[in-house]
Amino acid sequence: MMKLKNLIAKTLLYTWLLISVVIALVPIIWMVSAAFSDVRRLGDVPIIPRVREWSLANFKEVFTYRSGTAQLLPDYIGSFLVTLLVAVVTTVLVVMLSSLVGFAFTRYRFQAKKPSLLFIMGLQMFPSFMGMIALFLIFRVFGWLNNPIFLSFIYVAGAIPFNTFIVRGFMRNVPKTLDEAAFIDGATNLQVMIKIIVPLAAPIMGFIAVNAFMGPWLDYILPSILMPNNETVAMWLFRMNDPDSTPHRPMLFMTGALFLAVPIMIVQVYMQKYVTYGLTAGAEKG
Amino acid sequence: MDSLKKLVNLLLGYFRIFITYLLTKVQGFFLGIYRFSRKLSSLIKTFFVSLYRAAKNHPGSFKKGLSSFFLMGLGQFRNRQWYKGIPFLGIFLIFIIAEFVSSDYIYAPSEISRYPAEDTLYFFRDYGGIITRGVWGFFTLGALTRGDVYRGHIVDTQDFAYSWLEADNSRTLMGEGVIVIVLLAVLMAFWIISIRDAYKTDLKVRSGMEIERFKDWIRRVWDQYFAYIIVVPAGIAILMFTLIPFFFSFLVSFTNYDARISLQSDLIQWHGFTTFANIFGADPAWRDFFLKVLRWTVFYAVVSSVTVYVLGFIQALIIESKHIRFKKAWRLILILPWAVPGMISLLVFSNIFGADHGLMNRLLADTGLTDQVRSVLQFVGLVGREGVGNIQWFTHPDNANLARFLILMVNLWMGFPYFMLLITGVLGAIPGNLYEAADIDGGSAFQKFRYITLPWVIRATAPVIITTFTFNFNNFGAIFFLTGGGPRYWRDDIPATLTGIAPGQTDILISWIYRMAFLSGDHDAYNLAAAYSVLVFFLVATFAIYYLAKLKTFWEED
Repeated sequence: MMKLKNLIAKTLLYTWLLISVVIALVPIIWMVSAAFSDVRRLGDVPIIPRVREWSLANFKEVFTYRSGTAQLLPDYIGSFLVTLLVAVVTTVLVVMLSSLVGFAFTRYRFQAKKPSLLFIMGLQMFPSFMGMIALFLIFRVFGWLNNPIFLSFIYVAGAIPFNTFIVRGFMRNVPKTLDEAAFIDGATNLQVMIKIIVPLAAPIMGFIAVNAFMGPWLDYILPSILMPNNETVAMWLFRMNDPDSTPHRPMLFMTGALFLAVPIMIVQVYMQKYVTYGLTAGAEKG
Repeated sequence: MDSLKKLVNLLLGYFRIFITYLLTKVQGFFLGIYRFSRKLSSLIKTFFVSLYRAAKNHPGSFKKGLSSFFLMGLGQFRNRQWYKGIPFLGIFLIFIIAEFVSSDYIYAPSEISRYPAEDTLYFFRDYGGIITRGVWGFFTLGALTRGDVYRGHIVDTQDFAYSWLEADNSRTLMGEGVIVIVLLAVLMAFWIISIRDAYKTDLKVRSGMEIERFKDWIRRVWDQYFAYIIVVPAGIAILMFTLIPFFFSFLVSFTNYDARISLQSDLIQWHGFTTFANIFGADPAWRDFFLKVLRWTVFYAVVSSVTVYVLGFIQALIIESKHIRFKKAWRLILILPWAVPGMISLLVFSNIFGADHGLMNRLLADTGLTDQVRSVLQFVGLVGREGVGNIQWFTHPDNANLARFLILMVNLWMGFPYFMLLITGVLGAIPGNLYEAADIDGGSAFQKFRYITLPWVIRATAPVIITTFTFNFNNFGAIFFLTGGGPRYWRDDIPATLTGIAPGQTDILISWIYRMAFLSGDHDAYNLAAAYSVLVFFLVATFAIYYLAKLKTFWEED
């Protein structure tokens, strides 16, 4: 009896898992199939990839397509480089600034520490595009439109609050004995920070760096407003997929998207063990 | 009869408790305001009293403070602290020099005598430097537009001889005005610091302490204020790119700025609460649509967060159950939807549910199930009275519920793996002896789940549920990339005042704001969009503050 019950449970659970796996994979497989097929219309893409008929025609076109003949680089590569610049600047600044704030909040005395923490918490609650109308107007007035550096400044300002809490959550669990001992030995603030705190915080700074680097790649809303003539990858993807735009090339969208998604997916799968950092950052709050 | 009486009494009792509760709340609110105003007035009073005392008891030190009041840094020089005086004076001089260099004051006398103004002379508009012109522009948003006659000439968009003959660009004036006002606030802060410092240093000197040498001062500041110094860069970034934009949005919502205003030919004007009044009922059509969108936004945020959580929980439990082998492999496959960047999966799904070449419709056509599926969907009320052929998942105005349902489903596809991972982690952290104890007491599997697993997991993940909710409330991408806000409303249902900026039937507030501000062409309404941004901010902030107030661990000292 017990065995039969177990068997039924097993079958049910495995069936359920199989169904979820199929549902989880079908859109992804379809994307792969579309990227490697050589049909012109999305409607003709086979659902089950026919590996023997695969071609790289779409990839070739993605990397050579220019919307204007005068352009130095193909659209995709150009937008890729622009986004890369944004991502690198964002990463460097986010890691530096938010670690500094995080250190200040865990390792040093502070007047008005609680109110400022609460303030940062409040900042974290509203996304940076809340001020998007104003950002658009300000960028126009000061001629910052189409400038990737200023775009990355917005990402930086938006990322600092959350990362401050991540750093704080991490540093709280690192014992203070080391830096206290250094202070007793007469080390200065700067020495303690560079020689002791930064090495201790290296893992969390790496985590922040990876996240900050991945952020700008697929953000559409801000660049679409602030970079009208300097396309990022997300804007390229959107343009290729938009029925109202010329050219409307969903096949190229699928290909470009796959090319971008694969490295990100690999990083994400690798980063899955750090998913609980989000929890510790949350636990900071709760 | 007796029981009825009892019931009525009971209900009345509850009602009374409720009313008392309400009254205490209301009372508390007004009491709060009263206390706050008392506190404020006492603060102002103490300020003046202490000022008076300082002047009376320490006239010498007071004079040092006063000299810093008249010229920033002068008090420091009189205290013989040149190393403090120079920076203070420097900041002050930078402002003054910037003002004069960017001004046309030198041309003013001769030009005014040659070209007198008939009615009003806008002196700071015509000759002021960056600061005075900024302040003037901020309050007036400009005075003259193309075609106006001013000082005997016609104003045009450009004039190479006289800058005062160029038409005012309200947007530029506003942008520069905001920056100037923030800079003035910074100057004000430095000024106050310099006054206090001059006074306090003099007090110390008079009480017999030595004046710090430059080297000692630098070292003390570096040591004592190190935490503040390392926070400054981040503070500047947040001020520039989060706070000022928000402040600016706030201001735009009090103007009449929309796409109909052609800069330099028209002026933007302050018009107070008109926009907010429209949203909240001066125009019933506006209020109705606002409520419609708000209702769907809240519904979407709540349901999407809950479904994602529940499915993630179920998957975690199943994979962790003793019946399942190859746990790691299952988990690896099931987290793939989460690993695909959100924008890409949303756009892929918008293609899957495309009306013409979409994967879904083709699958249905190939299997010949289109009509069956349509009648099922019609039966459950997701599809309206649309006819034959492909199913219009996101495009037919009668299919709004279908589109909403699919948004939730796609969101579920994208979001459950995160919670699956999170909850798997939490499950591993539950101490095993809890279950052992339950086994000894003869608890059933369900009881163990109900009284051990569930409370433990919910407590550990509660903050993440809240963050997910606030994230989904502003989850622009989930709507914009998938349905683009569609399906649209029937044209007859859209009132005339909303022409061009009406939301789609699946638009949430944030995607509607984007549409209003950037995608409506000649109907772009920046002021309305800004007003809605402000409202969204207050909704989210209220929620956040309420939630924060409940957290005790947050307030623990490090």
